[in-house]
Amino acid sequence: MRERKKSSAVEVSSVKKKKEKKTKDNNEPREQKEKEESQSIMKQQKNTTSRWKKEKQRKTTEDYESLRESELSGDEAHGTDRDVDNADDHHEEDQTDGSEGHRGVEESDSSEDEVAPRNTIGDVPLEWYKDEKHIGYDISGKKITKKERQDKLASFLANVDDSKSWRKIYDEYNDEEVELTKEEIRLVQRLLKGKAPHTDFDQYADYVDWFKYDDALHPLSNAPEPKRRFIPSKWESKKVVQYVRAIRKGLIKFDEPKEEEPKFYLLWGDDSSAAEKAKHLAYIPAPKPKLPGHEESYNPSLEYIPTQEELNSYQLMYEEDRPKFIPRRFTSLRSVPAYENAVKDSFERCMDLYLCPRVRKKRVNIDPETLKPKLPSRKDLKPYPVACYLEYKGHKGAVVSISTEASGQWFASGSTDGTVRIWEVESGRCLRVLEIGEAIQYVAWNPLPELPVLAVSVGQDVLILNTGLGNEEEQRRVKDLLHVETPTAPDDNMASIVSWLQHDKLDGIRLRHFKMVSSVEWHRRGDYLSTVMPAGESRAIFMHQLSKKLSHRIPFKLHGLPVSSVFHPTRSIFFVSTKKNIRVYDLLKQRLIKKLETGLKEVSSIAIHPAGDNLIVGSREGKLCWFDMDLSSKPYRVLKCHPKDITNVAFHRSYPLFASCSDDCTAYVFHGMVYSDLNQNPLIVPLEILRGHTSSNGRGVMDCKFHPRQPWLFTAGADSVIRLYCH
Amino acid sequence: MPKHYRPAGKKKEGNAAKYITRSQALKQLQVNTKLFRKLCIYKGVFPREPKKKFRGNHQTYYHLKDVSFIRHDPILEDLRAKSAYRKKIIKAKAKRNKELADILKNRQPEIKLDRLVQERYPHFIDALRDLDDPLTLVHLFAALPASDRLKIEVKRVHNCRKLSHEWQAYISRTHKLRKVFISVKGVYYQAEVEGQKITWLTPHGMQQVLPDDDVVYDVLLSFLEFYETLLAFVNFKLYHSINVKYPPILDPQLEASAAELYALARYFDANSRPSEKVEATQEEESDLRLAQLQHQLPSNEPGALMQLVKDAADENEEDEDTKECKNLFKNMRFFLSREVPRESMLFVIPAFGGTVSWEGEGAPFSETDQSITHQIVDRPTQGHVYLSREYVQPQWVYDCVNTRIILPTDAYMVGSVPPPHLSPFVDNEEEGYVPDYAETIKRLKSAAKNEILPMPGMGKEDLDDPQNLLAEGYISRAEAIEAAERKQKMMTLEKQYHDELKMELDGFKYSSSVSDATKQKSGEDMETGEEPLPDVQQISTEDMSKLLMSRKKRGLYEAMKKGQERKKAHVDLLKQRKKKIEAAEKFKKN
Repeated sequence: MRERKKSSAVEVSSVKKKKEKKTKDNNEPREQKEKEESQSIMKQQKNTTSRWKKEKQRKTTEDYESLRESELSGDEAHGTDRDVDNADDHHEEDQTDGSEGHRGVEESDSSEDEVAPRNTIGDVPLEWYKDEKHIGYDISGKKITKKERQDKLASFLANVDDSKSWRKIYDEYNDEEVELTKEEIRLVQRLLKGKAPHTDFDQYADYVDWFKYDDALHPLSNAPEPKRRFIPSKWESKKVVQYVRAIRKGLIKFDEPKEEEPKFYLLWGDDSSAAEKAKHLAYIPAPKPKLPGHEESYNPSLEYIPTQEELNSYQLMYEEDRPKFIPRRFTSLRSVPAYENAVKDSFERCMDLYLCPRVRKKRVNIDPETLKPKLPSRKDLKPYPVACYLEYKGHKGAVVSISTEASGQWFASGSTDGTVRIWEVESGRCLRVLEIGEAIQYVAWNPLPELPVLAVSVGQDVLILNTGLGNEEEQRRVKDLLHVETPTAPDDNMASIVSWLQHDKLDGIRLRHFKMVSSVEWHRRGDYLSTVMPAGESRAIFMHQLSKKLSHRIPFKLHGLPVSSVFHPTRSIFFVSTKKNIRVYDLLKQRLIKKLETGLKEVSSIAIHPAGDNLIVGSREGKLCWFDMDLSSKPYRVLKCHPKDITNVAFHRSYPLFASCSDDCTAYVFHGMVYSDLNQNPLIVPLEILRGHTSSNGRGVMDCKFHPRQPWLFTAGADSVIRLYCH
Repeated sequence: MPKHYRPAGKKKEGNAAKYITRSQALKQLQVNTKLFRKLCIYKGVFPREPKKKFRGNHQTYYHLKDVSFIRHDPILEDLRAKSAYRKKIIKAKAKRNKELADILKNRQPEIKLDRLVQERYPHFIDALRDLDDPLTLVHLFAALPASDRLKIEVKRVHNCRKLSHEWQAYISRTHKLRKVFISVKGVYYQAEVEGQKITWLTPHGMQQVLPDDDVVYDVLLSFLEFYETLLAFVNFKLYHSINVKYPPILDPQLEASAAELYALARYFDANSRPSEKVEATQEEESDLRLAQLQHQLPSNEPGALMQLVKDAADENEEDEDTKECKNLFKNMRFFLSREVPRESMLFVIPAFGGTVSWEGEGAPFSETDQSITHQIVDRPTQGHVYLSREYVQPQWVYDCVNTRIILPTDAYMVGSVPPPHLSPFVDNEEEGYVPDYAETIKRLKSAAKNEILPMPGMGKEDLDDPQNLLAEGYISRAEAIEAAERKQKMMTLEKQYHDELKMELDGFKYSSSVSDATKQKSGEDMETGEEPLPDVQQISTEDMSKLLMSRKKRGLYEAMKKGQERKKAHVDLLKQRKKKIEAAEKFKKN
């Protein structure tokens, strides 16, 4: 590698010289001569190196080949040899006369150079001597005769016998067998390994500078040392002057330790200057962290330390529910360790400070009792039903509906066991039992005291029955009234929907409907009654006239499923409640007056204040709405009192009382005072919770009705008992 | 068309126009989360709660004005420039250009927060009001080990130490410390500066651990940076108010022996009270301090007269509380043993007028000094005992401070378990549970007061008002309750009589209404009493009036009730535990 570099350098220099030679004329013969001489030296140098390389190459190829193909025909090997020789010759020709003298300098590794080949025929094809007895001539011109050819078998056997046959090579050119010496074998092996052939050859030897310029007569370059090598740079000195000036002028500053300005000063000098209002939003200071209590002390009272059981129970808790801080006790200050969560707590506080939304909240610091509305004392609102006074037992199924007679002496009850019973209020005696045979839906007593007639809804029928009460004259009138002649059909399609029939067994009229009738309500005059069939769709509500035995469909469109209907207590107004809303119709003008929005999910019952302007609505979600119809179409007050469905609501006819009963086996009694002064809102005061009923099949109290004269409440339970609560 | 649809180009209204979410704010400000966090911390911007969360509940909302407040602040540009500069350094380092990197490092732009401090706290009182968190964090960092990995530099820790000592020195000097409480978490101090109660927590003087997980130190350090600035300015102002130069220059020897507080105290003495020279001789100041004063005098002489005036004014300004605090440990000399937390003691004892020394270099007087009245010891046994002084545990000092009387030292003897250390921050009456030791302290206190001020007119009044009696601690609690009941009964009778009289005057016939009213009252009394009887009637009436509440009020009422119940449950638990403990003790005795 190093040698190659060297040679290339030499080549370059020689080329340069050639150029010089061309450009310069032969004005200076001596100089030229010198140049030529140096050139020749260079050339020779080049040649020697190149030749050495060539030879080495040749040798390697030769040896390699000879080793591989011992029986190769001699022509080829010779051919290569010859080629190389030719090349050598060419080089020799290039050389000038002085080359011979320098030959001695050259060191040759090749042994072949020393021993001249025996045959002197030169580079001719051996074919020419094919038919001759000799193969060529030796150095003295005598013929070299061919050796006796051994036959192949014999030579093979000889090879086998001879242990050294593997190192023998047949030289075709000289017609002799050459035996390779051990050194040569080693050399070949090294070549095969890709190493330098000779063991003593150091491939990476230090470079010996064989050419010494100092002592040489002719230098490679004759140029004198330039002046700039000895004189200091002017440019540099100029630059230095420039810097010096800049420094003197102060344009260049050095990194001096900065003067420490006083970092802190009187920021809040006088507060009057900072009085102007801040432009940004109001700052909400962060709430201060809670101050530590006794339990955080390093030595708290013993009662603040949780017991072992409590500690164990903390382990069972969810991680969020566990107490954040567990008090510990140390008997002396020196035994208190560092708090392990100090950094974490601080970090959490910091996170809260910059991430928690802040809101200014007014914290009411009041006694919770003051939140309760101020109500008049319950004692002042007496009388109202307080305690159970009587129980009416006799029904075998759940009592579904009750109704009081106008005089207040009797009341009727209908049950799922298929009977309607008429009781005397004060004694608790069961006066009559009317066997209907089917589960009763609803009972309603005629509001006229002189007309003791009971409307009972059973399945698809509504029975108008004579109760047998009253004096003879009254009985006669009732019998007249309850007599139906042969069914006359004024209208065919009406007949298919409702038909008036005489009841067979009992004394009364049977009004046959086309769907289940859920409720029956009497008009205050006792002549009309309305029936509701929830499944009747557009023909769900009917109005029947008892005196004329006529039925009418109400001329209003219903929106939603009807639940119940009520007549206004004084005026000809009709209330129809659907599941969500309550509609108020004027019967005379036949138009809608008002729509009351309850906001409830499912209305179960309604009742009207005897004055007619207020209305209570019970719902299946346990809410009770009070409507003041003069005030708004929205409820004046919503009372969430029952946890279960409200089954029925009722107003007292004369006392300012109303009640609600529910499936949770309770009935609430409220004071509901309506003032004649329109500016004063109705006063509602919850008075009493009436308990006593037991639940059966998930139903509790099914119906409640007030006594018409006294502040008493009847409740009908699903446990087949009717209770009377008195004041 | 849905209700919330808004045609393109139409302005937003309501909450959507006023508030933006966090990610929107990031986009508007063109900053990343980290920078935004830093800006929020520096500027004190916090999320706000819009009435309607138009982007959902999971978002954080910032007020638009807050965000534009950040945007218009030059600190945003400064921080950006800083991060750009940091990139230059990183680049120089990456190119192995150490020289350039060093130069750049030295020339880093410094961010000053003084303007932000002024902006956030336009009045000094505002800054004092918000000082709790800064003090706590600075005290915490003063105790933390420096860590390269977490970027907690030694310089900052030292600065925190310095600031905390300066603050403590001021509080101690002006006797503004009010309450001290040693908790498991550290020592809570409460001071009253300009009418503001400032509470802070210092960790116990132990090696603190730096948790790796779930703590982001960047946040803490950002906060700390602002707090350091704030506290330094506050200290400046406070020092200015007592005519001491800030920052103080301390005696390096004392500083080296970790007695910075004492060094600061000496600095105060040297700087602020040169006029005391004459009085000092009378007051028997320690020789060392005197020498210091005399040394300092020449430099301060011109202002001496002024100082005198100022001092006089100061004396007048001091309120009752401060005077009381100042004279608590007056004429008492304390000596601290090795194992006692020195920093806390050096802070607390001088704050209440005592003189203190410790074992170690630079201490003002040694253990052999005969004038020492109390030696504070926290070891199981004390070897050599001087008869002239009392040996107490450190808790004695703190309890004295909290009760403001010199407690008897019997319970705090060396080697004994001290009585429970109670929190001075709890109002026992309000909490509903009074620990035993609080009772005894109250009695001691009233006894001490009585000794000092036997008021002539007090005696008769006391007997009338059981509440007052209780406060004075003359009678036991049970007696007080009894008396209160008796008094209440009398009052009701009296009232009834008056009512009847009035009714008669009005011309009404005497009816049951009055008795009703009284009955009702008694019912109410029962309700408000500690343990109401489980009366069905009562419960039903309670339910009744609840029926008529509006939904909002009912919710509020129920929440309040729940809170009360929780509190009561806690008190009950404490009582139950105490009963058990007492029973166990009795059993042991038998």
